Amino acid sequence: MSSLSRRGFLTASAALGGTALASALTGCSSSSSSTPPGTRTIDHWDWFVSQEPWLKQEIALFEKAHPKIKIKRTVQVSDKYPDLINLAFRGGSAPDLLMIPSTPALQEQVADGWLRTLDDYATPQWRGRFPDGNFYNGVDMVEGKVYSAPFSGQAPWLQLYIHNGLFKQAGVTNPDGSVKLPKTWDDVTAAAEAITGKSGGKAYGLGFGNVPNTSLPWWVELFVRGAGSPAGYGTDLLDYRVGKWTFGSDRNYTDFVELLLEWKKKGYVYPSSMSIGDEQARAFFERGKFGMIVGGVWNQSTWTQHHFTDYSLTTLPSPTETPKAFFYYPPGGHLWALSKNTKVSDEAWAWFDWLYSPAAGQRWVESGQGLSIFPEANKNAKVTSQQFQDYIDMRQFALPMPVPAIRNPDVSKVVVPTVTPDLPDVLAGLYSGQLKDVSGALSALEDRRNKALAEGVKQAQAKGAKVSLADWVFKDWDPTKPYQNKPA
Amino acid sequence: MAVLVSAGRRGRPAAPSRRRAAGRRTAGRSLTHLLLLGGGLLWLFPFLWTLGSSLKSPDGFFSKGLNPLPDGVHAGNYRSAWQQASFGRYFLNTVLISGGCVVLVLVATSMAGYVLARTDFPGRKTCIGLISVTLFLPHGYTIIPIFDIVRGLHLLNTVWAVIIVQASSGLVFATFLFMGYFSTMDRQIEDAARVDGASFHQTFWRVMLPLSGPMLATVGLFTCISAWNSFFIPLVFTLSKPELRTLPVGMYSFIGQNSTDWTFLCAGSVISLVPIVVIFLLLQRYFVNGLAGAVKG
Amino acid sequence: MQLLDTAAPKPPTGGRGAAAPAVTAPAHGRWQRIKAARWSYVYLAPLMALLLTFVVYPIFGSLAYAFYRWNGIGSPGDYVGLDNFRQIAHDAIFWRAVGHTFVYAIVVVPVQLLIALVLALTLNNRKLRFASFYRTLFFLPVVTSPAVVGVIVQLMLSNFGDSLNRWLLDAHLIGRPVDWLGNPKIALGIIILVGVWQTLGYNLVYFLAGLQTIPEEVYEAARIDGAGRLRTFTHITVPLLRPVGLMIVILAFIGSFQVFDLVQVLTGGGPYFGTEVVNTYIYHLAFGGNQATATEPNVGLASAASFFYGLLLIGFSVLQVLLFRSLAKRRATGRA
Repeated sequence: MSSLSRRGFLTASAALGGTALASALTGCSSSSSSTPPGTRTIDHWDWFVSQEPWLKQEIALFEKAHPKIKIKRTVQVSDKYPDLINLAFRGGSAPDLLMIPSTPALQEQVADGWLRTLDDYATPQWRGRFPDGNFYNGVDMVEGKVYSAPFSGQAPWLQLYIHNGLFKQAGVTNPDGSVKLPKTWDDVTAAAEAITGKSGGKAYGLGFGNVPNTSLPWWVELFVRGAGSPAGYGTDLLDYRVGKWTFGSDRNYTDFVELLLEWKKKGYVYPSSMSIGDEQARAFFERGKFGMIVGGVWNQSTWTQHHFTDYSLTTLPSPTETPKAFFYYPPGGHLWALSKNTKVSDEAWAWFDWLYSPAAGQRWVESGQGLSIFPEANKNAKVTSQQFQDYIDMRQFALPMPVPAIRNPDVSKVVVPTVTPDLPDVLAGLYSGQLKDVSGALSALEDRRNKALAEGVKQAQAKGAKVSLADWVFKDWDPTKPYQNKPA
Repeated sequence: MAVLVSAGRRGRPAAPSRRRAAGRRTAGRSLTHLLLLGGGLLWLFPFLWTLGSSLKSPDGFFSKGLNPLPDGVHAGNYRSAWQQASFGRYFLNTVLISGGCVVLVLVATSMAGYVLARTDFPGRKTCIGLISVTLFLPHGYTIIPIFDIVRGLHLLNTVWAVIIVQASSGLVFATFLFMGYFSTMDRQIEDAARVDGASFHQTFWRVMLPLSGPMLATVGLFTCISAWNSFFIPLVFTLSKPELRTLPVGMYSFIGQNSTDWTFLCAGSVISLVPIVVIFLLLQRYFVNGLAGAVKG
Repeated sequence: MQLLDTAAPKPPTGGRGAAAPAVTAPAHGRWQRIKAARWSYVYLAPLMALLLTFVVYPIFGSLAYAFYRWNGIGSPGDYVGLDNFRQIAHDAIFWRAVGHTFVYAIVVVPVQLLIALVLALTLNNRKLRFASFYRTLFFLPVVTSPAVVGVIVQLMLSNFGDSLNRWLLDAHLIGRPVDWLGNPKIALGIIILVGVWQTLGYNLVYFLAGLQTIPEEVYEAARIDGAGRLRTFTHITVPLLRPVGLMIVILAFIGSFQVFDLVQVLTGGGPYFGTEVVNTYIYHLAFGGNQATATEPNVGLASAASFFYGLLLIGFSVLQVLLFRSLAKRRATGRA
């Protein structure tokens, strides 16, 4: 390449850059051609991926119903979302309507002046659209003011998925030839053994994708629930009967981890399970590489897209046939919020109201994403998939649980320090053989967790919060019954 | 190729002894080529596999396994990847940002490298010391201070922010390269320019800089590589303007959205890799010379 | 050693240059000299402005965070003194991460330098055809981003780790299937392998550049003296390449100690911190772990870890330079 052509190359790229630069500098927003005068645009942020089709449909319907409002949607990468939201507020370019990030806690987001109170819009009549008992401080309200609203209805968030083809091949069937769903831990072991043995090395009994540290805690949670351990909501719920984490003192955790290690030793577990992610594991399950996988309802939408329907689901396998504990969820919930400094609050509220409408909820259920907070939406939704219907029918296994912040709002001021290694780490350590002593590792984790809570309480007390460890104890909680939270 | 060449040579008539020696040499040379070519293919295997897999069908992806040859040409992967991920716009942004970085880095570091290498002034050693210390200082959690500065300059969510911040991250090494290069240049060139009445500026811009072509190519290439592949800086500084995102940022969400559409992922990887490979191929012949100039002396 | 030898820079072009009036100008004091060299300052200004604003200031700005407990939101308020440093120094996981990083560097650097040197010597042969083609071939991984490379390797391993296992089982090389990234030792090995592969190109071209600075005449003279290949290599190539070699070693170590993207994409530091390196450790602190558990980021702790590690590295670099110096001295005295 001569110097001349190099210069030519540079000039060319400069020219190319120049035009792009011009368009970038002028704001680049020459997109919408036929907007009526007076149109206002709402900046909207979320991190939806598999739920995207539903959201896109809602945007289209909303814009049609509100010709003078346009929604500019920005999808952010989910694992960077909390950082990006933080920087956006820091830089004064926060969206008008946002999905509430997982960190920091809602009350800190309010305290930092991120979120707009919705009291002027979310009147008692408006709130009346939701079932009773859904607006609480620390959940969707802070200091008596509304900031968000619950969106999803509750069902067990984890299920055991069964590959019908592999089960039939291995002869794990009922007399009528249908797949025999495992009900007990032993059933799972037997099915895993049959599948691994009969496939001639081509398939495994069970598998998962633990990168990055996601799936092992799901297995533990699903199996210990059935055995009667109520702790561990995503890893983060303590046993409110005693106000403590019980990973070590409750035998069920050790028992299940030892069973899991036994499965691994016998070769029932797909060998690359620690090398792959959950998405990959789902794809390999679909291709019949293993017969059982633990996951949530999100599994179903990809499989539906791929026209893979030959699977079944069950939940809460237990040592005996009847589950002794269930899945728990806090009443209420939050998903969307308006940012404090939005200049289009009326329009943003209209969109917020739309997202929280029973009609949108019904479309949410129909798109197979999960349940809506509105019972009528769940009832009226036309569901075509048998497996999704099975999921809806599992609603009975999800119960409201005690929430300390409802009984004592000051609990929200407690920041529990992060614990490392946490449950997902410890499970990976045990599974990969880097930790040998199962009950020792789990007891150490229990100690770390409980100490961190005590430390958080101490720090909050030092700042004047009226809290004590007793705020986490609910002696009247029966894990087999829905808990009625009573505000202080 | 190597085999053909050596076969041709062997056919030439030669005295027996010389022929034996020559034969040994050709054999050795063929072996060298064989090893280099074999090693090179092995070296490029991940790329070849990605390229091949980007043309496979979803089923072919599994049935072919590690075999890079596709089961037919499924160019549709590219079409969908391109459309779905708006790679077209990202591509333009990336070109613009990388280009801006290259220009900024070249101007700032060549001027600095020149005066640090060829002139003396009070504070020169302090400057060099300061510059080299930053090479060793830990670059901790600097994103918030940088973000605050950029906000203060009212540059958030512009390409300028990305260009300036990205360019700043690679200045030190580039300055050293230019310093090294200029300090080995023949002084007579400068003297001759001065005799011709060239000013300080003319000496630099008209004489010295054009003579440092290989180093410009080298620094330009290194800057371009890192700017092209940068992820976090463009992500943070275009957070409210998705239309300003770059290829790696687009690629990141693309990976998140298609984590099991492997043939798609491969097509996306190829799309994001090809331009920088082409730029490299265009500039690569200069840069070994450029580096040689910088380390000489 | 031009690149890093900042303590004793090569004397600039002496006193007679128009651009270097400092020495010729009669010593009318400092101000005079500054005024005479005003254009030097102007030329330096853009670099210094960018460097001070976007590199130096943020480094010191973030140093302050190390003394607070802070989650990165708003501005830091909880002053905790040296607590963060104490916590890092007592964290077994941090030291494991330091261990992994050093293992990575100590394996990657020599292996890579050896391969790069052999390749460079082969390719530097002027009679070798297609030398630049081969050079391009081996440099190519450098231009790709570690993130994309990580994705590709992850794809290959997760989809075909199976087939690889079957093949190894059939050949009786392994007794049971291997979980490639699930076994911490193997995973670290794979990270090292990919690390060598991805950054070898830089060292190759640095060596080639170094070799090009050795004049052909030196080799010519050696040949006339009847020196064999090995002798030429040990007596000419090695000594003349040493300054460049030192620079390459230092740069290779600097790069290896900052390994991040590859690990983050391939294993995220897992399983159970089995491949955690310092930069992934810091990243997990600063950005609050992973999706599975939404943990609160701890920017103060992350900054403390980053500075603590910086100090360790500076200590290591000083040690390295001292070691090289004493080696050089011993050789010099041995020769005398």
